[in-house]
Formats: sequence, C-alpha cells, structure tokens
Amino acid sequence: MAGAATGVVATGVRRSFGAVEAVKGIDLTAEPGQVTALVGPNGSGKTTLMLVLASLLVPDAGQVRVAGFDPVTETDEVRARMGWAPDVVGLYENLTCAEYLTFVGEAYRRSRATARERAAELLAESRLEDYADQPVHVLSRGQKQRLSLSRAVVHDPEVLILDEPASGLDPRSRVELRDRLRALARQGTAIVVSSHLLGDLEELAEAVVFVDHGQTVGQHRVDSLPATGTVRPWRLRALDQKQLADALGDLVTDVSPAGVDVALGSEQAAAELLARLVRDGVAVVSCQPLGGALEATYLELTR
Amino acid sequence: MTTAGIVTVARQEFRVRLRAGRWKLLLIAWFVLLVLFTALATAAAGQLDGLQDDGVIVFGALTLFVLGLALLVVPSLAAQSVNGDRERGTLAPLQVTRLTPWEITLGKFAAAWVTALVFLLLTLPVVLFTLTQGGVTLGRLVVVGALVALLLGVVAALSLMLSATLSRTTTSGVLSYLVVAALTIGTVIAFGLGSVASQESYTETYPNVTCMTESAYEQLYREDGPRPRVDGSYAESDLPDGCTQQLESFASTRTRTDRIWWLLAPNPFVIVADAAPTLPALDPRLTGRQLDSARQARDADVLGQLGNGIRELRQGPSPVQQQVDVGYVAGGEDLPQPDRGPAVWPYGLVFDLLLAGGALAVTARRLRTPSRTLPQGQRVA
Repeated sequence: MAGAATGVVATGVRRSFGAVEAVKGIDLTAEPGQVTALVGPNGSGKTTLMLVLASLLVPDAGQVRVAGFDPVTETDEVRARMGWAPDVVGLYENLTCAEYLTFVGEAYRRSRATARERAAELLAESRLEDYADQPVHVLSRGQKQRLSLSRAVVHDPEVLILDEPASGLDPRSRVELRDRLRALARQGTAIVVSSHLLGDLEELAEAVVFVDHGQTVGQHRVDSLPATGTVRPWRLRALDQKQLADALGDLVTDVSPAGVDVALGSEQAAAELLARLVRDGVAVVSCQPLGGALEATYLELTR
Repeated sequence: MTTAGIVTVARQEFRVRLRAGRWKLLLIAWFVLLVLFTALATAAAGQLDGLQDDGVIVFGALTLFVLGLALLVVPSLAAQSVNGDRERGTLAPLQVTRLTPWEITLGKFAAAWVTALVFLLLTLPVVLFTLTQGGVTLGRLVVVGALVALLLGVVAALSLMLSATLSRTTTSGVLSYLVVAALTIGTVIAFGLGSVASQESYTETYPNVTCMTESAYEQLYREDGPRPRVDGSYAESDLPDGCTQQLESFASTRTRTDRIWWLLAPNPFVIVADAAPTLPALDPRLTGRQLDSARQARDADVLGQLGNGIRELRQGPSPVQQQVDVGYVAGGEDLPQPDRGPAVWPYGLVFDLLLAGGALAVTARRLRTPSRTLPQGQRVA
C-alpha cells in the first residue's frame, strides 16, 4: 500500500477513548490537487480522525497513509509533508507574527534565514504584512485564522488537514479562505477540510466524505451528489410574486418574502418548470435549489 | 535530536516568558531583598566581633538564604510549561512539527533553568561583596555556586515533569512546591522519624577504678601518671598498687544515625553545605583579638558546621564520639581539626541528578506523539 498513493488514504480507521468509541470505521481518500470536505454532525468523529491524520493519535485499527507514509511508524516523514490547523487556534500571543512564523519554520528544520524569508512571504500571502511586527494578541479572529493557516503551510506541505478553518469567520474572510485553499489545491496540495458551512464547501470542494456516529456514510464527488436526483425544495422569485404563486398552483409548498418554494425531483424538472413559467409570461428573476445539493445529501445521510 | 532544535524551543520559550511576566519588577525585588539580607547579616556579623573573616558568616547565611528563596522561585518557572501550552492549544501545533519530544523537553527545561540561573547570577554582586569581607575562598564560592545551580536544575526538571503528567496547571503548581518541601523539610522529617526507629539498646561497659588509699588515687591521676586507653581503661601493669579495676556494664540506648544518614542526603541544603570546601587552617600569625575573631568566624560558619554535623551523623554514635572526647581531654584547645569523615553530598547529588534525569525522560515520554493513551479529561489539541 505504501508508495501507491499520495494525498491521504485512510481505511477502516477506529479509535476509542476509554468506553467511548469516537471513530468506528471511517474511510477517506483525498487526492492531490483536490479539496476533500469532511462533513458530519458535531461529535461524529471528524476531529478525532483529523488528529489521527495529523500524526497526533494512534488509531486502534485501520490503515492510514498520509503523503504515502504511515503516521505511526514513519512519523517524521509524514510531518515533513503534512500541515495541520486545529479547530482551536492556539498561537503564542506574545510573539510578533513574523517571529511566530519564523519559529515554526525553524521547528520544521529550516535555517533561520530561510524561515524568515518564508515568514515574510506568508505574511504577504495572508495579508498580514502590516502586522509582521505586531504581537499576535492584537489580531482579530479572522486574522488569527489566517495566521493559523499560514503556520500550517510554512513547510509547503503536500497534505493539508484543516479542522473547521471557517468557523466564526465573517463572509469576506470566508471568501478569502476559499480562494486561498483553491490556490493551494491548484499547486497540487491534497486538502482535507471539515466544516459545517455546506454552502461554502459546495464551491470549494471536489469531493465530500459524510460521517455520522463515527462511520463513513457516504463518499461522493461534489458534482454528482446523490441528492441531485431526489425531491428537494427549490425557491423561485418573480417580479410579481402573486402571479408566480398562482401560476405554480398546487406545487407551492411555502410562500415568504424571500420567494415561493416548490418541491422538485430533479434539475430536469426545474428546467421544465422554468420554461413553462416563461412561456406563461411570468417574469421569473431567479430559480435555485434551497440549501444546495450538499445540504440535501447531508440531511438525508445523517438522519 | 539536534542542538538546533533544542535552541529553537528554548529561545522561543524564553521570549514568551520574557514578554508575559513583569520580570523587571520581579528581578529588582529579588535583588533588593538580597541586598537587605546581606546588609543585615553583615551588621549582625560585625556585632559578633567585626575583625576577622566576617565574610564567612555572611556568605554562609547568604548561601542558605538564596538557595531557599530560589527553591521557591523555580517551580513557578517550569510547573506550567507543558500543561499551560496544552491549555492554550499551543502544544499540539508544536508536536506536529519535526521537533522531537526530547527537543521540546530539553528546550523547555533549558528555558526554565536559564531563567533560574539569571536569578542566581543576580546574587553575584552581593556574593562578591562578602568575598571582600575576608575568609571566603574562591574555591568555596565556585563549588557552592555550581551546586546551587545544579540543584535548581533538579527542581526545574521535576516541576517540568509534573506539568507534563498532570493536566491542570494548578495541580502541577501545588505539587511542584510539595516536591520542594519533600526535598527540604521532608528529608528532615524522614530522618527524625528514622532516628526514632533506628534507636537500639546496647550494653555499655566502662571501667571502674577503685583505690584503697588516697595516695593511690593521687598516683593514678598525677600529671605524669598512667594514661588511660581509648576505652578509658588502664593497662593492668599501669595501675598503682591498691587500685583495682572492674568493668561495669549497664544497658543504654543509642541512635544509629550511621544507618539512616542517607535520608538527609538528597536535601539541597545538606548537599551544598557538605560540599563547601572547609576553611583554610588558621593563620599562625594571628594573635589576640584577631585570633579570637577568626575562631569565632569558624564557629559561626554555618556551611562548615552543617557539613560537619551531617558527616558526624553518617559515622554514627561510636566509637568516634569517644575518640573525639578523649582527644579533647588529651590535646587541649588548638588540636588539628579532626578528620571530617566521609562525605555525604556525593550520594545526595547523584540521587537528585538521577531524579532529574528520570523526570526529563518521563516528560519526553509524555510529549511523544502520536499517542495511544490520554490522561483523564485531557484533549489532544
């Protein structure tokens, strides 16, 4: 199995803490150059799995390969190629941003000069160059998240493990995070990211792994999610809401200022409905699935 | 494990420490306290006589004071080093780098120890002042300084271990102080209890000489009369006519401190005092009040006295005690200093250093990841 794959391959991972079985059979594959989303309810074992991938926890059972190496027996090889950003951002509050990233660089066995150069580069990349000589504790939450991500990529890792990097971020920061991760993926990094922000993930991830109660309940490509073929809510808006509701008749499930909701079985059905409305002269301005396919699949799988 | 890795961790720890606390204030307070103590001790020593070798008295008192105070400072430097990082979520990001557990351990240890040494270094001005007061040799200064430094390292290592094994910083802080108490007060209590347990009864025999006539007694105790043997008895041939000697025996108890002296050996104060080189022999040119003063300084030399005391305990109740008494009777006052007996401090020092080494090994073990077990209630990240 070793050497066969880069990125992340985990099969049948199990891990319990005393009597609590946090992870009881998770499979996950993350390809290089792609973002793989890890999605599941709180307490479903996401963080535990990520700690196993990040070489911090020994799994009770299962096969794990990170960048082609076993985190338990080839720990240093894994660490040289893997970056990890925890869900709780822990930074040395009294160091300046530049000092901090330089320190992390040195911890990855870079020379002082190289580490310093890389720190400056990363500060520019995460738009923190104005804070280079400011202590970390003056940073806002979003800025700290950016610094935490920079820390995880100090050594240009092949694999990036991110535990809820977007939690608590404002919309702009989330967009920036997405762009940064997409850029890293373009450079060939295999990224595993857990998040509850399904809308964001839909625009970010190529693949998604659903976990529930410590088990993988689905592993899909985002462009071919099973829920795209099941009945789910769509929301339409028109210049004249009343006319729209009348035209839809029995199909309507809910009417709100945000629009008129209908239940549709497929994208094909949505396209046909839209064509009919236009033919009937209803001035439709938007028609979109409510919550997205990811959310629909999530709700279905983690029932 | 690389030196560069250790230095990276130590520098970073040191920097975080330096910026987190109010060090300037703390160091100034420390220094002022030392100056005050030295001034008081010097005044007291001057009151004693104030002529010769006063430095010995002040240096001894200062050494014990600094050691005691530093033993109270060191736990606060290391006792929250690992679990504090864990609480702030900064430990796991360190562990996923390529730094090895030993690099993190030794880096954190070095930072704590070097901080302690800064405190120690700050005592140098007052110590140098005591050197000018006379009597203290450079050798004594170097040996005492080195041992205090080593012992502070021992306490730092033990505190570090507690911070790595316990999840709560308050628990590890309190326990670190208990460790210091165990080394200092605990060893004394253990010795005290041990000395009760080590009491044994034995039959003491001593010669009882009775003479029939007054003149026979006079003959026996004359200036140029017979000399008793070490056990106080006389050779049969030495006894004057009319005197008989009988060995009488009675039951007595004695404390076999030679069996339990090692309970005191790990005590930092014992180690430092016992290892301090003895003062040079009295300068034969000294006379009168100066000689008295020099003698007094030697009597008030706490390090020397403590060292002699502990070595006496190691030798136990007999027969040395008798020899010394007899020697005193025979030799008068300025007899050459009796042999101090075998040293105690090497045992204590080796024990303490092994303890410290073990503590560092445990710390490194606790920092090893990926980990299989977690202490109760502890999160990895």
